[in-house]
Amino acid sequence: MSYLLEQVLNGLSYGLVLSLIAAGFAIVFTSTGVLNFAHGSIVLLGAYLVAVLHDSIGFWPAVLVGLAGAALVGVAINAVLVRNLADKKPDTAAILMLGVDIVLLTELTRRIGNQVLTLGAPWGASVVRFGDVSLPTGRVLAAGVTVVAFGALWYLFSRTDLGVGMRAAAADGPTASLMGIRLSRTAATGWALAGVLAAVAGIFLTSFPAPGVAPTVALSAFAAIPAWVLGGFDSVPGAVIGGLLIGLTSALVTGYESDLEPFLGSGFGEVAPYVVMIVVLLVRPSGLLGSKEAVRV
Amino acid sequence: MKHRLRAAATLSAAALALAACSTTAPSSSSGEGGGDDVATGNGVTDSEMTIGMLTDLSGPFAAGAAVQVTETQAYWDQVNADGGICDRDVTVDVQDHGYDPQRAVTLYRSMAPDVVALQQVLGGPTSSAVLPLAEQDSLYVGGVGWAGSALAFENNQLPGASNAIQAANAVDYMLDDLDVPEGSTIGVVYFTGDYGGDALAGAEHAAQERGVEILAQEITPATTDLSAQASALAQADVAGVVLAAAPTQFASLAGVLASQGADVPIIGMNPTFNPSLLTTPAADALLANAYSMTSISPYANPDSAGVQAANELYASADPDGALGWEVPLAYVQAELLKQALEGACEAGDLTPEGVVAAFRDSSSTDTEGLLPDGLDYSEVGQSPTTTVFVSKVSADAEAGLELLDQVSGPSAESFSYGG
Amino acid sequence: MSDLPRRISGLVLLLVALALPLVMSDFWLQTGLFVMATAIGAVGLTLLVGVAGQLSLGHAAFAAIGAYVFAWSTGESTTSVSGLGLPPVLGLVLAAVVSAGVGAAFSPIAGRLRGIYLGLATLGLVFVVRHLLVNLDQWTGGFVGRSVEPFAVLGFSFSNRDPDYLAIAGVEFSGLHRLWYLFLLLAVVAIWLASNLRAGRTGRAWANVRDSETAAAAMGIGVAGAKRSAFVVSSAYAGVAGAMLALAYGRVAPDVFSLTASVDFLVMIVLGGLGSVAGAVVGAVFVTSLPLVLAQYSSALPFLAAPGSGGLDPSTAARIVYGLAIIAVLVFLRGGLAGAARRLRARLRPTPAVGQPAVAAPSRSKETTR
Repeated sequence: MSYLLEQVLNGLSYGLVLSLIAAGFAIVFTSTGVLNFAHGSIVLLGAYLVAVLHDSIGFWPAVLVGLAGAALVGVAINAVLVRNLADKKPDTAAILMLGVDIVLLTELTRRIGNQVLTLGAPWGASVVRFGDVSLPTGRVLAAGVTVVAFGALWYLFSRTDLGVGMRAAAADGPTASLMGIRLSRTAATGWALAGVLAAVAGIFLTSFPAPGVAPTVALSAFAAIPAWVLGGFDSVPGAVIGGLLIGLTSALVTGYESDLEPFLGSGFGEVAPYVVMIVVLLVRPSGLLGSKEAVRV
Repeated sequence: MKHRLRAAATLSAAALALAACSTTAPSSSSGEGGGDDVATGNGVTDSEMTIGMLTDLSGPFAAGAAVQVTETQAYWDQVNADGGICDRDVTVDVQDHGYDPQRAVTLYRSMAPDVVALQQVLGGPTSSAVLPLAEQDSLYVGGVGWAGSALAFENNQLPGASNAIQAANAVDYMLDDLDVPEGSTIGVVYFTGDYGGDALAGAEHAAQERGVEILAQEITPATTDLSAQASALAQADVAGVVLAAAPTQFASLAGVLASQGADVPIIGMNPTFNPSLLTTPAADALLANAYSMTSISPYANPDSAGVQAANELYASADPDGALGWEVPLAYVQAELLKQALEGACEAGDLTPEGVVAAFRDSSSTDTEGLLPDGLDYSEVGQSPTTTVFVSKVSADAEAGLELLDQVSGPSAESFSYGG
Repeated sequence: MSDLPRRISGLVLLLVALALPLVMSDFWLQTGLFVMATAIGAVGLTLLVGVAGQLSLGHAAFAAIGAYVFAWSTGESTTSVSGLGLPPVLGLVLAAVVSAGVGAAFSPIAGRLRGIYLGLATLGLVFVVRHLLVNLDQWTGGFVGRSVEPFAVLGFSFSNRDPDYLAIAGVEFSGLHRLWYLFLLLAVVAIWLASNLRAGRTGRAWANVRDSETAAAAMGIGVAGAKRSAFVVSSAYAGVAGAMLALAYGRVAPDVFSLTASVDFLVMIVLGGLGSVAGAVVGAVFVTSLPLVLAQYSSALPFLAAPGSGGLDPSTAARIVYGLAIIAVLVFLRGGLAGAARRLRARLRPTPAVGQPAVAAPSRSKETTR
């Protein structure tokens, strides 16, 4: 029983980290309509900044630089590239982000080399025990931070002018613009928020139980895509639910791999999130909490 | 109208082509080398020969590959300074495939007519795309990793024991030296693919021979957090773990297992250790329980003249370079190719076919302790040796691995491919 | 407008393509094979995404199905993998048919989803197919893949054997040369078919569905049917492209049909200009050959550091240049490369005909359907 509980907790805490990334996808998509294929590089960038800076300026200042750096890069990508696209269409923007991803990821990979860069996180390899179940401290912290982050997001979107403006801009850009909402500002805020969330996720994905920063961390963004999609493209709460669902699925499929292998083949843990995503899309084409896409006549 | 025009043009072009067509080969004169009596072919002139290296300088293995390129170039510079091979200077043509099979195949096409051998084709998917093409061209290919699937190619020279042999030895070593009891369960955490799959096959064979159970967990290189796998292993109460993955997974698995109180030995295969792991939070766990089972000697091996030569050469080529197993690896791959080229020269056949024949001719190749002695390349399809190096992760040893022993366990010796 | 100049330039290009193997090295021949194979895939995808407006990130999955069907149906059974040993021509047809069939089976799902939702659902398809390829190893050879029999028609093999030696105009025609002409034939047919399809009734129906499903339905177009047919045609193209890739490699492995491959197809058509057949071909040339050419020649650039020295080495530079090139095209060229060429041609209109810039594909016709 405690084994099942441990796997569930593992899955949920990993899922919360995924949901940070998924929420980043959702926020960028709603604020600028961009499918951000470079999100993985930004996750990596945030973690990388912390890893190279923590020795000289200490861990917590390095975290601040990491969050700010990831946010700034996001804002810059939007201001310099996305807003200047020759064709402002979703497909074009997605491919543009692929180009950005190639450039960022190649440069980061070159800098990281074959080292496993450690973050110097103060929680190290410690664990927290609940009865006979143990969880890495980093994971428990991640869960806490994620809950706080989503609380802050909820406050921003429902209680502040900026957040309400962002929702208005997402719902109907031109009208919002006529009402005096500056779309450039809501877009920049969206990219900055996504960058911060990505960097936070990056830090938790590269500290214990993962050993440190390696280029493969960028791939974790792809694992968050099913979470984002099945939650609904434009919904932050959806991203949370999606993240939890995907985290749980992966952990359980992996944890019980030896029992499932005869039916599903080996390595099903990698595909399971996508299968869940396709099934959910079949039943609810706009995701669990996504708003129905309007059919314009 | 224009369709007709195009059709007419195509037809006339075809007719022209047919008129100029021939199916009789001109009497082939594969250039007999000038003064000496050595037959030569692609990539060899009277004063020079070219060898190729298809490596990954911009993809996931870029950093380690760069160390190998530096070491390789230094090696052949040294050979040239000593008079070259067969009175010819050796040039290395290095190309980067970036771990992309498409690029590997295309670069192979451009390289193949101008090289006498390929010292290395790095990477699983890339080498498995290139090997069949090179086999058709009877071109020597070295340094493709240790996957059993590569053994089937006559033109491939494996640098030491294959992955299955390493994994079988790992199980043997656990039972013989690490107090893992018969009847217990051993975990195998492995990458999808020929590297991990081959290791799993070896471990399963050994488990059958030695009366232990295997609990297999498949992962991919993107899995950097092995909590779920570790919980499953701890739940099954494994007495030891064989890991066929990469350094990131080694550190994560060791760290999580330790945090869950599972104090069991973890043995990593060839490419699973990297000295920088000792700076991660998992360092204590690694120092306590981690071993490395490799085809090739670790960096720190004071008793081997070959390893010392390799390390000195690298230190002079790149004083600030990263230390690690890539140094002896690149050196020994060059050394194996050098022996093959010298053999081909002696046999008077310095063609690509001649180089393959030369290394296949040897049933006892020695490399001054870089690889186990007495490598047998005369049998296509089987690992050249059953002996591997066992090292323990250590904070005191250079590059983090302290050599314990060379072993050849009973199940490694009874393992046979295709049998 | 007159098609004459375009047709003439197409003819010139075709003649050049026919003559090129006489002078090219193996590197360029192999690059050309990959370019032609991916070009067919890209043309299929531009019909689906550009013309019919259905975003797909799963094109590589259909290409994989084509490649494996070809490899399995033409291959011989061995101890490790099974095969049917059918003639290669039949294998090629089967590759197209089976891919199209899977496309048809997937289209009810596709019909429920639109735009980016559909794109991401098809993304899942890539992972599912990959999982199957790795696990169904009796047919696929698993992770390592299986080798592919050379193409052959009536005893003439498109490899280095049968006839073992063949020379035309004094140039030895190896397997690469022979495959070049096979691929060129397939590419010309595929491009010609796609151009006609796009300009014809079907293409106009697809474009109407793309612009407004409601309006299309009001005009009597069966929306579901139009969507399905676009999916089927595009999948068939992907299947043929996959079989050609299998031939160009001489083997098939799941790694060839990764997510990257899917995304590359999309990059091709967006760079080339969505909906333009010629644009898809130019995009394929760009995306497929640029990394290969950069890898081959970047070491000749003098200002770059030696590999391993910690500086910016040629291979990293090449990869960054590739990324920057994608960014530059999208930021500066409206309508992609095809759009730029169209504007350039419009500007050169007063001085018509022969001397106009090279516009890639042979039958670049009737792009007025928009």
